[in-house]
Amino acid sequence: MRFPSMLPASAGVGFKPQHFAAIAAARQPLGFFEVHAENYMGAGGTPHAQLGFLREHYALSIHGVALSIGSSEPLDRDHLARLRQLCDRYQPESFSEHLAWSSHGGIFFNDLLPLPYTQASLASIIAHVDEAQNALGRRMLLENPATYVRFAQSEIAETAFLREIARATGCGLLLDVNNVFVSARNHGFDASAYIADFPLDLVGEIHLAGHFETVDDAGAPLCIDAHGSPVIDDVLALFDDVVARAGPLPTLIEWDNDAPDWPALRGQALVAQGRLDRAGALRARSAA
Amino acid sequence: MPTRSPTLEGEFARALRDPDLPLPGGVIAHTSLRPQKRFAVYRNNVMVGLIGALEARFPATKRIVGADFFTASARIFASAHPPHSPLMMTYGDAFPDFLATFEPAAELPYLADVARLEAARTRAYHAADARPLEPAALAGVEPEALAGLRFVLHPSVEIVASAFPVVAIWAMNGGESEFAELTDWRGEDALISRPMLDVEVRRMPAGARTFLQALGAGQPLGAAAEAALASSPEFDLTINLAALLGGGLAIAVINEALEDS
Amino acid sequence: MSTKTEITAVSLAGAFAAALTLLATPASAAMGDEPAGKEKCYGVSLKGQNDCAAGGGTSCAGSSKVDYDGSIWKFVPKGTCETIKTPHGVGSLKPIKS
Repeated sequence: MRFPSMLPASAGVGFKPQHFAAIAAARQPLGFFEVHAENYMGAGGTPHAQLGFLREHYALSIHGVALSIGSSEPLDRDHLARLRQLCDRYQPESFSEHLAWSSHGGIFFNDLLPLPYTQASLASIIAHVDEAQNALGRRMLLENPATYVRFAQSEIAETAFLREIARATGCGLLLDVNNVFVSARNHGFDASAYIADFPLDLVGEIHLAGHFETVDDAGAPLCIDAHGSPVIDDVLALFDDVVARAGPLPTLIEWDNDAPDWPALRGQALVAQGRLDRAGALRARSAA
Repeated sequence: MPTRSPTLEGEFARALRDPDLPLPGGVIAHTSLRPQKRFAVYRNNVMVGLIGALEARFPATKRIVGADFFTASARIFASAHPPHSPLMMTYGDAFPDFLATFEPAAELPYLADVARLEAARTRAYHAADARPLEPAALAGVEPEALAGLRFVLHPSVEIVASAFPVVAIWAMNGGESEFAELTDWRGEDALISRPMLDVEVRRMPAGARTFLQALGAGQPLGAAAEAALASSPEFDLTINLAALLGGGLAIAVINEALEDS
Repeated sequence: MSTKTEITAVSLAGAFAAALTLLATPASAAMGDEPAGKEKCYGVSLKGQNDCAAGGGTSCAGSSKVDYDGSIWKFVPKGTCETIKTPHGVGSLKPIKS
């Protein structure tokens, strides 16, 4: 049984305000738009006017980047209240956050930071997801991270860790295929094996993004999750693998930095849509 | 219910902010037991992200000092003043005051005021929505009630008072006007507002700052006009009333004469 | 009301009437500087808007220690300030200390 995602199983785009005029003028069909929750936590003005338009004409995913749900510290209740207010106002088809932390000791780090996968951190994050879902009054999706280091303390595989969080809380998962590729390359594991281990039946959304490659201390390849370039073919191949197994899923093109113009960005979504269509057709044929 | 020792996360957090600290215990990679460069990606993400937030919010300030100087000063600021809120739209509220006392920028005494104007613009951009008062709402007020009228100003309204031509300098560096020699070097008060959706910046005429601040503090129209006239004999009430109502600076009027009756 | 009132009810009423008349006039120049841009249905995204982003990954360069000490600060402002002519001259803009 699939996680009941309310988003359509088609391609969406991460909304960038600079594209608003082009989007509003063309009103082309698109699976959904996704926005970062924290950019819409001001009181009013253009951000809300634009989000209101998107809400009216498209399916909407709200993606939090600052709840710090993976922290060992208590969740920020004020932030949870802001998220609740945003979800109540815009009624998104999906709300998602990250398996990561970003605040500690009252300081906000504005980055998605890694955590060790231990029994203790598992208990803590399960409590946080429970708290968040209760506060929001809805089920959420939790996203697998891209990481650059790992922890000697870790005792649970990431896929098992996510599976257990979902089992304990009832949350769904957001599978970022680029993050799988990046982490696999950074930590020397097989991305396809990770996908094979991943509980695909719990996935409510897929993320696709670009990254770049540099080298680490030992001169070994190090991939950086930069969201500033097209999705590479190797990541698209992994994506094909996922949707061949799981069937078409809501799939987001995330291009946050140096985003191209709207036609080019939409073109990336069309590429993903073509692959979703092909996977859907193949499944229909094999079922027949 | 702390279910996990907070020490690892705390150590990680401290090491993010201080490159002199060793790697947090347990941070490893399959290629290296001391993956300094890998950890530096996180350090750099944090710092570059904060500098980027300041660059985005203070483009005219950056243009005035140049990219190298701006980045270097933003780095100093971000190290000393990390964000305490996850709302990055508020980050940098303290940057203008930092610049005001930042010794290397001392030769540009107007710089902090340009940054204040830019910070106010972003606050106005995100301020609460409120429908400006229609001038017609005042058409029927009895002449003797005018002096007692109080106005509620739009939540986006801010004033940046400057001893420098801050509006002219900002406009040239913010892409609003052509670069030209500033032949009239005198202090300007900037009015920042967002009556509907677009942020507007205006140069305020003589006495207007006193007038608007008095109204904003809840003083009645008559007292505000007197205070403005006392601050500047050139204060023109007609023009200021037209600006108040036509510029969408007020969202409500309170006519106590009516309410008492 | 104080007898020092400089703005009488009559002058206030006159100013009010004049202001309303001004506002009823198209393209009124009374507002001082006309701001750039008019209301649009959904607004224009402000340059200078801070954007939270996931995955704003950067390289590992440039993360060295910030060692600010005023005396060894090596940067000088080198932007448009060099063209902004102040009463104290161009370039060196220190106000004259009295």
